[in-house]
Amino acid sequence: MLIGLDVGSRAAKAAYYTGDGYEYRIVSSQSWEDLLRGKEGVVVSTGYFRKRVPHDFNVTEITTAIYGVRHFVKRRVDVIVDIGGQDTKVIDVRRNDFRMNDKCSAGTGTFLEYIASYFALDVAELAKLHSMARCAAPINSTCSVFAQSEVVSRLVEGYTKEEIIRGVHHAFARRIARMVPPHARHIAVIGGTAKNAGVVDALGRELGVRVFVPDEPQVVNAVGAVEYYLSREGEH
Amino acid sequence: MIGITALVPAEVIYSCGEAALDLNNLVPGSKLEPEDKLCAWTAIWRELVLREEVKIDKLVVVAGGDCYNALVEGEKLELAGKPTHYFSYPFDGSAEAMRQQLEALAEFLGGIRREAFDEVAELKKLALEVHEMRCDGELSAERGFLIEVSGSDLMGSLEKYRSALEGAEEEDVDYDYRVALLGIPPIYPDFHAFLQKLGMHVVFDEMPFEFIRHSGRSLKEVAKSYAGYTFAGHIAHRLSFLESQLRRHAIDAVIHFQQFACHHKLEDRLLREHLHEKHGYPYITIEADLPSPTPQQARLRLEAFAERLREVV
Repeated sequence: MLIGLDVGSRAAKAAYYTGDGYEYRIVSSQSWEDLLRGKEGVVVSTGYFRKRVPHDFNVTEITTAIYGVRHFVKRRVDVIVDIGGQDTKVIDVRRNDFRMNDKCSAGTGTFLEYIASYFALDVAELAKLHSMARCAAPINSTCSVFAQSEVVSRLVEGYTKEEIIRGVHHAFARRIARMVPPHARHIAVIGGTAKNAGVVDALGRELGVRVFVPDEPQVVNAVGAVEYYLSREGEH
Repeated sequence: MIGITALVPAEVIYSCGEAALDLNNLVPGSKLEPEDKLCAWTAIWRELVLREEVKIDKLVVVAGGDCYNALVEGEKLELAGKPTHYFSYPFDGSAEAMRQQLEALAEFLGGIRREAFDEVAELKKLALEVHEMRCDGELSAERGFLIEVSGSDLMGSLEKYRSALEGAEEEDVDYDYRVALLGIPPIYPDFHAFLQKLGMHVVFDEMPFEFIRHSGRSLKEVAKSYAGYTFAGHIAHRLSFLESQLRRHAIDAVIHFQQFACHHKLEDRLLREHLHEKHGYPYITIEADLPSPTPQQARLRLEAFAERLREVV
């Protein structure tokens, strides 16, 4: 068995490959050991903790994203946007280039978690509220600290919770859109945050192109770790 | 001992019978957490001088051709009692204006007593030979960098610098990629060694290379040479210089190192457009704040960069 093990800052993901296909499992980051319990095989690790977990090979999540998306998406992809808990990566597949935002939480999953907790919501509920909003409240700050105080100001001004969440998604998407190269027309979004349809909708609107989400966006890097290993099988 | 805050022609300082100390060299090893900080470099050297953790008699602040952070920190030290001189590079690269600056600097330091121009020129020539060893894979980037970055103050003693240059022994350096490190020097002391582990051999350190390439055998020649200091003039001059150096050094990839709250950050876009988009060099930007070993997030980026290079170089 080949095990792609992606241990990130918030979640740990495993892709188990037996030759017939993949099975997946996702747990919280601190419970990564559960993913290996009772499993034997070659472990290819990736994610922030790739060197802290037992592995036979390790590879960065920038490379696994490229291999993983290639596995899931059979159409043209110019750019991959990987929205993680702690950072966001924009990978220009055509130019073999990447950019990362890790000094600021404004374009990362952590920011949305904060907003959800402010409204006493689960992150999974944000997309539904986004779709119910009649408009997006203007949230213009590029800094998440300022954006948080802006949320309070908008509430005081009378915007609804739904409109504010939609506005937050747009602020979030604008932050990411600035990292996307202008030539990109076919954009894949991966990572746990890609399950939030509100973010995907806002990102598509901000970029002016249709963005798409592969099946199982959260395990793309775990699968990519295996795919990377398979592509270099002769070298091991 | 004369403290300097950026490149100040050491030729003049030594000719005035003084010795130079580049305060920046103390920053990467510092554990100090400065209050009232924008850029860690300027805030830390200001605190080191203020707390007298480093002893200098006088201070020369680069007030034109460096940054306003340095200028303000210099003013703080002057108001705290440190004799301070404000040195400016001419933005238009005028050799005559540069000569006037050198004369004013010499006057602040008590005048030229014994010309050291020839001696320093010989040392810089030796430093350029050491640079070639590094380019030829005969010296690690870590050791080469330390020698070049010491070109700003000549290690506080011409004899000491000569002995460091003469002591640069050949070593075998295995590498996969020839890398240019642009921008200000890394505040992470292990940065070059970490890159070397990834197969990335830094053969061109932009600013330290400036420290060793300027010299002259008279005040006039020194003025003419330093008037071409690329960090102080119009960026078009720097871009064209970089373009030629990247070609000359057979560079495979570019790392732009930048510092939190530094105005040079604004240049990243211009460097990226010119070197990456126009000339096709693989390019990555690393941003630092306080001194420390290279942090995990920067390591991740650099490892990913090395993985990407495997696919394109």
